[in-house]
Amino acid sequence: MALAALWQRLTRFDRYLLLALALLVGVSFLLPFGRRPGARVVIAADNRTVFSAPLDEARRFAIAGPLGPTRLEIADGAVRVLDSPCPHKVCIGLGDARRSGDLLACVPNRIVVRVEGEAQGADYDLLSR
Amino acid sequence: MTCSAVDPRELERVRQRVFLALFIALAVALHAVEYLLPSPLPWFRFGLANILSLTALFLYGPRAAWAVTLSRILIGSLLLGTLFAPGFLLSLSGGVLATLLMTGAYRLFRPHIGPVGVSVLGALGHAGGQLLIAWLLIVRHPSLWLMLPLFLLFALISGVINGLAADLLLEFLLQHPAFARLKNSCRLSTERRAERAPRSDLSGGSHKMPARKCAGFPPDNEETGLP
Repeated sequence: MALAALWQRLTRFDRYLLLALALLVGVSFLLPFGRRPGARVVIAADNRTVFSAPLDEARRFAIAGPLGPTRLEIADGAVRVLDSPCPHKVCIGLGDARRSGDLLACVPNRIVVRVEGEAQGADYDLLSR
Repeated sequence: MTCSAVDPRELERVRQRVFLALFIALAVALHAVEYLLPSPLPWFRFGLANILSLTALFLYGPRAAWAVTLSRILIGSLLLGTLFAPGFLLSLSGGVLATLLMTGAYRLFRPHIGPVGVSVLGALGHAGGQLLIAWLLIVRHPSLWLMLPLFLLFALISGVINGLAADLLLEFLLQHPAFARLKNSCRLSTERRAERAPRSDLSGGSHKMPARKCAGFPPDNEETGLP
């Protein structure tokens, strides 16, 4: 009831403005501010870099970890884990990593996949508007 | 109200100056209190001092809002020892952009916009201005913009809270005879609610406020405040 009384304090204009601004903020959560698509995939197994490949060449491969081979795929400018011998499969659930700084990790199998660098001809950027 | 034989306009000017000084003092106090509150990240602050800028804007107009904001930032930073430190620049840029947006919105949409709308715009402007200056002068790292959505969401919420606080404060202040002359010029939620009263009777006791106010202070005209 107290909330309804507070809501009465807003003018109609205020409410529309609030709605529009809330939508704007919601949209801003979806935008990848300042993060451009990455250029390379760098994979570390047990803290040692074991694999590196460009992100724009599709391929499938496997990295050996303590539990067995983790199978990964690079396709459409993104890297993802296809299959892993770990118990909870969290790494598969992490989905795609495509932007510079994205990270996929399979902790039980001690494999960390990083996306690094910035692709040439990167897409939009907030600051260039 | 102590001096009797003065020009009412002169009295009004002096009164405005006194109230602005009070607003600035209160804003500095809130600024300092907020600085002392622990916060998870350096920029997550409620901006409570903006309540006073909003009040000044709705009572005395854009120039008063500028006076309150700029004085509050200068004096508050001086008191806290952050004057001309990096944080001061952030505070200043946020304050300037916020006040720019608030006064702009006030001028453009005055009859329709209320304190909450103005406050939310100001809060988002504050967040944007701070982040912009932080990026230009201090960190210049693209991942800074990752904070923007979270920052804006927080600003939106705190803007609504501050706007409601300012609306309550305005309603309270306008009950006082010192502001009786201003009551005609600023359409506030009290009047809005009184207008809405025939349509919805949801907010029970609250529209009794204007009535009580008028009963308490009969002279509701030019002569108010003059004996």
